[in-house]
Formats: sequence, C-alpha cells, structure tokens
Amino acid sequence: MSTNKIEIKNLTVQYAEKNKQFTALHDVNFNVSQGEFVSIVGASGCGKSTLLSVLEGIYQNFQGEILIDGHPLEGTGKERGVVFQHYSLFPWMTTRKNIAFGIKQVRKNLSKTERLKIADEFLEKVGLGDFGNKYPSQLSGGMQQRAAIARALAMDTDILLMDEPFSAIDPKNRVILQELLLKLWEGTGDTPETRKTVVFVTHDIDEAILLSDRIVVLTSHPGTVSEIVAVPFARPRNRSELVQTLEYNKFRNKLLSLFYDDITNKIGGEEVVL
Amino acid sequence: MKINIKDYLFRLAHLLFIGLIVVQFLPDQSGGDSYSNYLIGFAVAAEILTLALTAFISKKESRNLFLDIVGFIYAFLILWTLATSKLNLLNPSLFPPFGKILAQFGTDWQKILINIKSSVGIILQGFLLACAVAVPLGLFLGWAARAGNAATYLSKFFSSIPPIVYIPYGIALLPTFRSVSVFVIFLASFWPVFAGTMSGVLNVDKRIMDSAKVLNVSKPELLFQVILPASLPQIFLGCNQGLSVSFILLTSAEMIGARDGMGYYVKYYSDFGDYTRTITGLLVIGIVVIGVTFLFNLFQKRLLKWR
Ligand SMILES: Nc1ncnc2c1ncn2[C@@H]1O[C@H](COP(=O)(O)OP(=O)(O)O)[C@@H](O)[C@H]1O
Ligand SMILES: [Mg+2]
Repeated sequence: MSTNKIEIKNLTVQYAEKNKQFTALHDVNFNVSQGEFVSIVGASGCGKSTLLSVLEGIYQNFQGEILIDGHPLEGTGKERGVVFQHYSLFPWMTTRKNIAFGIKQVRKNLSKTERLKIADEFLEKVGLGDFGNKYPSQLSGGMQQRAAIARALAMDTDILLMDEPFSAIDPKNRVILQELLLKLWEGTGDTPETRKTVVFVTHDIDEAILLSDRIVVLTSHPGTVSEIVAVPFARPRNRSELVQTLEYNKFRNKLLSLFYDDITNKIGGEEVVL
Repeated sequence: MKINIKDYLFRLAHLLFIGLIVVQFLPDQSGGDSYSNYLIGFAVAAEILTLALTAFISKKESRNLFLDIVGFIYAFLILWTLATSKLNLLNPSLFPPFGKILAQFGTDWQKILINIKSSVGIILQGFLLACAVAVPLGLFLGWAARAGNAATYLSKFFSSIPPIVYIPYGIALLPTFRSVSVFVIFLASFWPVFAGTMSGVLNVDKRIMDSAKVLNVSKPELLFQVILPASLPQIFLGCNQGLSVSFILLTSAEMIGARDGMGYYVKYYSDFGDYTRTITGLLVIGIVVIGVTFLFNLFQKRLLKWR
C-alpha cells in the first residue's frame, strides 16, 4: 500500500502579462507517493519550473489544491528541500558553511560544531571532502551541484525538489552526478516508507529513466499532463548495464515518440530542440 | 627555482637609476644645487628597496609592473633635474630642485605628521559615521521595497547637490572648523553609501532570494546573513565613492578656513610663495590618499574574497 505524499489537484497557473493572462499550467493532476522518485519532463517553456515553484511554496498565486501529507500547502516548508539549477548555494559562504546554514534551519537545537560535523560528513558523501573551505565561485558547476545536493540531503527533509539540477553540467560530469544521486537516493532507505520523496525536473529522457519510478510528461501551451509512465526497471539500478538492455531502448523510444508526437503535433513538424 | 639574473638586474628601471645618479654630477646652470645629495640619497634608498622587493614578487607580470612604475619615477626625476638645476629651463621658485623638496620633508616632517593626523582623523570620523548610519538605514529601507523606491529618488536628489555647498550652512550651524568638516564629510559620504546599499538590497539576485526562501530562513537571518552579504559589493562601491569625495571636500575646506590639515599646509605656504612646501604638501596628500585607499581596498578584498 502506498500513501500519497504530494497531491496535485486541478492545478492551474496564470501569469499576468501586459493586460492579458498567460496560462502556464492548465488543470494539472497527479500524486506522488511516499518514497517515490517522480520526474517531470517536457520541452523548454512547458511549465516545469512553474510547477516546481508551486511545490516549493515560492509561487503562491495558483488555482487548485496542493496537499502535502494530506495538508494544504502553505508557502515554503521545512519538510521540503530544494536544489535549483543555479545559485542554490550562497556565494559568500564556504561549502561547509552553506551546508551547516541549511542544517541550522531545520535543526535549531544542534550546536555549531555538530552542524559543521554533519556538513563535513555529507561533503564526504558527495566527494567534496577536501573542498569544505572553498567558496562556490572556486568550484566547478558540477562541484557546486554536488554541494547543493549535500545540503539538501544533510537537511534530511522528507521531500526533495530539484529543478534541472544537472542541465548546466557538461555531459560527462552529468552522468557522474546522475549516478551519484541515484546511489545516494537509493541509499536513503530500502523501502518506500523510509526513502525520500523526490520530484525531479529534467528535459533529459535518459536521466529521467535512470532515476525515476514514474515519469510525468508535460505538453506545452498550456502546460498539461499528457502522460504518466511507470519506469519498469528494478532497483538498485546500474546505469551501464541498464542502457545496454533491449528493454531500455524500447522504453526509451516509446518515451521519445510521446515527446516528439506532442511537439510535432503542436508546431507542425518543424525541427525541435528539446 | 632558478633565478634568472637577467630578469632581475638588466632592467630599464635600473639603467634609469644609474642615469639619475649620473645626471646629478653634471655641471649646474643655476648657481649650485646644494640639495642634490638628498636626491642621491633618496634614489639609492629607493633602488635598494626596489631590488629587495623585486626579489619577493614572484609573479612575473607584477614584477614587471612594479619595475615599470619605478622606472617612470626615475625618468621623471631625471627630467626634473635636467629642467631645473642642470639646464635652468624653469623658474626656480616655482620649480625647486627635487632635492630641496626632499629636504623639506626632513625639516617639516613633524608639522606634516600633525597635519596628516588632523586630516585623516576628520575623514575617518565623518566617513565612518556616515557608513554606520547609511548602511543600516539603506538595508532597512531597501528591504521595505516601497519605502526604498521612494528613498532612491530622494537620495538621487540629495547626492546631486555638490557637497561643498553645505560648507557655509555648516559654518552657521556648528561652532568649530573640525565639527563643520565632520558634518560636511558625513553628508558627502552618506548619500553614495546609502544609495549603494539600497541599490544592492533592491537588486539581490532573485535566485538567491528564492534560495533563502526555500530554506525558511528567519527575518533577521535573511537581512544579515543573506541580503547584507549579497549587497556588499554595491555597498563598497558607494563607500569608495564616498571616500574619494571626502578627500576632495576636506582638502578644499581646509584651504578655506582651517588652522590644521594638509589642505591648510598647501594653501598657507603657497600664500607665502613657498612653492617647495606647496609641492611637498601636494605629494604628501597624494601619498596619504593612496595609503588610505589602499588600506580600505585591503579591507574590501577581505570581505569580498568569496567573489
Ligand atoms: N514570472 C513569470 N511571468 C510571466 N510568464 C512566466 C513567468 N515565469 C514563467 N513564465 C512563462 O511560463 C512558461 C513556463 O515557464 P517555465 O515554468 O519556466 O518553463 P520550463 O521550466 O518548463 O522551461 C514560459 O512560457 C515562460 O515564459
Ligand atoms: Mg525551467
């Protein structure tokens, strides 16, 4: 039996533009179970970030209902940790200070040394053990995202919200980071009850398949859910083994066709950049 | 590391040093320069210092830059010597031999020190007071965005008034020259620091603010651990502006009504036609301004080392 961690009911978001309304999301409905890893995929501009900013609690002027653990969502909350594509970390704090600062927000009773100790543990976990005293500007984009993930995990929130955390990373490092996240997330628990619930935005199909339990495909203008696909591969997953299987490639093609059909229908067969 | 002798010794700067010394021994046109020993002493000391320092500067670009600057100074002194005592091209009362200026440092250094202390004291007092008021005020007003927007326009108006015109009003308002100067410098640095702080606060990257929001940081933490450090670069821009205006303002004010200070020193002796001391005063002001700015930049670099 699975319980709903996040419920999204009839979510519509309209941005006010010069004297007219722009519908970014229209009547979006889906649930995320406790301990589930759900990816949101869709073309650029289809409303993925909008959806996530609603879940983050940053964008509050939406229509519809969002329930977290059965309670209506009210702004930002300590049960949700966030990793953005850029600027998750504060540039004026070293990485360990950044993580300790995050921990302080959820666990006020810890002393400064205890917070820094936890920060160092998580830096070690993401392979940044020697970089605790560096400022974000001294790290590569990939290292910055490692630190941001370390902070989100160190805060030990029930829910992780990630908006294209790896999109700005070069392909080689992106694969490494995907595998790291997979390992860390699968390591948060053996059963859904103990695992963290993740909503992960990406426009990379392979990334979505590797990481997710289910994939929500959004179509654009207005953003609506076109399909929700369960990923049929057992965990723990191993990237290099998985991508060689016939099943993987069949599944991948199926998703891709879903993706392209939608876009080519909408704009009439022009070349599309995902 | 192998030290390349050529890199250190056969440099234009050092050749110019030798040139400078040689020039001192050319025959005088202007009836004897009894001060050339001072210049020789100064040049030798500068050269020894240069040699010692270049040994410590490991980066080639920095070393070249340093030597180029020294080279320019030597070249300037050579030209000065030639134009004054050696060829007598310039009016000797307006353009004293450089050695005479150096000698003046020797005889006047105590007086100069007192004047520096007076000037720098006033600047620091007015400037630091301005920062202490402007930064918190800008922080709070910028945070209350609506008030901040209004205040931005007001600060534009007030900062457009050249601060020197506050002086007569200050004199009517306050009893001593010192208090007038502090007041005027306070006003002059207040507006740029205030405007810098507010524009910093109003322009914090939205992504950084979002990051703070999703962490649920408390209000005081948001203000002092997020908004303040994020605005620091802009705050420092305002501070630098305030500091340089302060120097202009104070030295001008000192030339009008002071009994102390570097501006006073320059004005007082130029009234007597003592241009050796006038030039000495100018050089001292340059050195003091560079020194204070340098220290302030060190402080700034420290606080902004994360950039
Ligand atoms: N604050 C905003 N005001 C107006 N329009 C916006 C705003 N944010 C996003 N949009 C528009 O809404 C659409 C969805 O944007 P976004 O959620 O960022 O898409 P995605 O993350 O999938 O690329 C885009 O067309 C974008 O231009
Ligand atoms: Mg986006």
